Amino acid sequence: MSLVFRMGEFEAIFPTDRLYAKNHMWALEHADGWRFGFAAYAVRLLQDVYFLDWEITAGMDVREGMQIGDIESSKAESSLHAPLAGKVLRINSALLKDPSAINSDKYGDGWLFEIATDTAPLLEASDYLQHLKAVWEVTQKTIKGQLNG
Amino acid sequence: MAHHITVVISQGQSHHPDKRKLEEDLVSQLLLESGVELAVVPHLYDLTADGSGMLCLQGIAGDMIVLSWMYSRAARWILNRNKIQGQEGTTLLVEEIDPDEEEAQEVDQNSESMPHVIDSLEIPNRRIYCLDLRVRKLAEDYLQEIKRIVDEAKITTIEPTDWLNGQPEADHVRRLTEPLPGNVESRAAVLAAGPNNSSATHETTVIEEETARRWYPVIDMSRCTNCMECIDFCLFGVYGVDQADTILVEEPDNCRKGCPACSRVCPENAIIFPQHKSPAIAGSAGVLENLKIDLSKLFGAPEADAVDVAVRERDEQLMLVGRDAVGHDVGLERRQSEPEKTTKDDLDHLIDQLDAFDI
Repeated sequence: MSLVFRMGEFEAIFPTDRLYAKNHMWALEHADGWRFGFAAYAVRLLQDVYFLDWEITAGMDVREGMQIGDIESSKAESSLHAPLAGKVLRINSALLKDPSAINSDKYGDGWLFEIATDTAPLLEASDYLQHLKAVWEVTQKTIKGQLNG
Repeated sequence: MAHHITVVISQGQSHHPDKRKLEEDLVSQLLLESGVELAVVPHLYDLTADGSGMLCLQGIAGDMIVLSWMYSRAARWILNRNKIQGQEGTTLLVEEIDPDEEEAQEVDQNSESMPHVIDSLEIPNRRIYCLDLRVRKLAEDYLQEIKRIVDEAKITTIEPTDWLNGQPEADHVRRLTEPLPGNVESRAAVLAAGPNNSSATHETTVIEEETARRWYPVIDMSRCTNCMECIDFCLFGVYGVDQADTILVEEPDNCRKGCPACSRVCPENAIIFPQHKSPAIAGSAGVLENLKIDLSKLFGAPEADAVDVAVRERDEQLMLVGRDAVGHDVGLERRQSEPEKTTKDDLDHLIDQLDAFDI
């Protein structure tokens, strides 16, 4: 089952089998931690991902909001930040050579990293969509503001 | 009356051999062109307001094509600040835009309806074309564009004496007797003054002004709404107002080298720092050229909007000169609504007593 959020003409899909973080990543319990990837909202804004770089390695402790990497796509560039605090377990190194799985299979093979954590400030899909409604206006303004210089 | 366009080559600061070669090729070709006069000056941004470079440019009447190593917008508003004004001439030689990105060009509807400072300026009826010497590698590209502009201008030459056969209006008479600098009419007056007038006989002028690198803001008056945010924000006294209470850059050399903080607080993005590494601040036209959207804020980067960055930059500069950092407290709309209540001390009592004397 999935929920849909309209970004302009685009219908972004959010499966309800997982949780979401406010920084537009999905989270699934996996092995000894949580597995994260980009949700449809993020992928839509990025479009084709060209390049991905990590500053973290397995074993490192991260704080929520800490910068963990960088990404570059056809339309955008961005720093990447930890969705919550914890210890990094695994990173999807296949993406370093070919990040296109983020576009072709964002909820599966396009996963980004896994973190072990005690606290999990994550949202149910329906709550995450409420969050999206609130930030969609701001997102559009941010992008327009950047386009206007 | 022959209508000569002046081509101005504003030399770059860099000694890069390719850049020097481009300038030299342009100069040697343009010397051979009839129909254009040529002026070579140092980097526009470095020219001082009263130096020989600016004086030379101020003396140019008629249409100008200015080639410089910066964005057209930056060049245009530097000239404007030095009273070198004209209608904006359109050049076809612009940064090549990826066809995929053209769809993203939008006009901000809101700022279209607000009055801008440029609406109240009186602009002479000649055209100024600003070309960016970084968009093409070959002199030939620029020469072709110059020829195109020269041909286009021939068609629309204004003959100031046409109306003499009819009934001149008061406006026509005023334009001839009190021409704005740069107007075609003022050129007619200059030519009429006779062959001894040096500006009429110079074909090529090369200005050898000693320049040092400068750093100061340039205001784009077509975006500026005179809101005064910049003068409130800058704590180094760079901004002031003119007699018409319009914002201007009064003390450019007070500006702290490398600091672009005020450009971030301007609500209309009207402040340009031509040498800044970010194209948006350096005066690029504001379309999505090779710019990518920065999604960091959406992807979880800690909150730091443009004003936060500006405050941090301003504090850095304050501390560099030995002053105290002020954070958000000074020069921004989000001020404390009430001053803090403190207990009165002896000085306060003394002043109260003085007030009571009612001198």
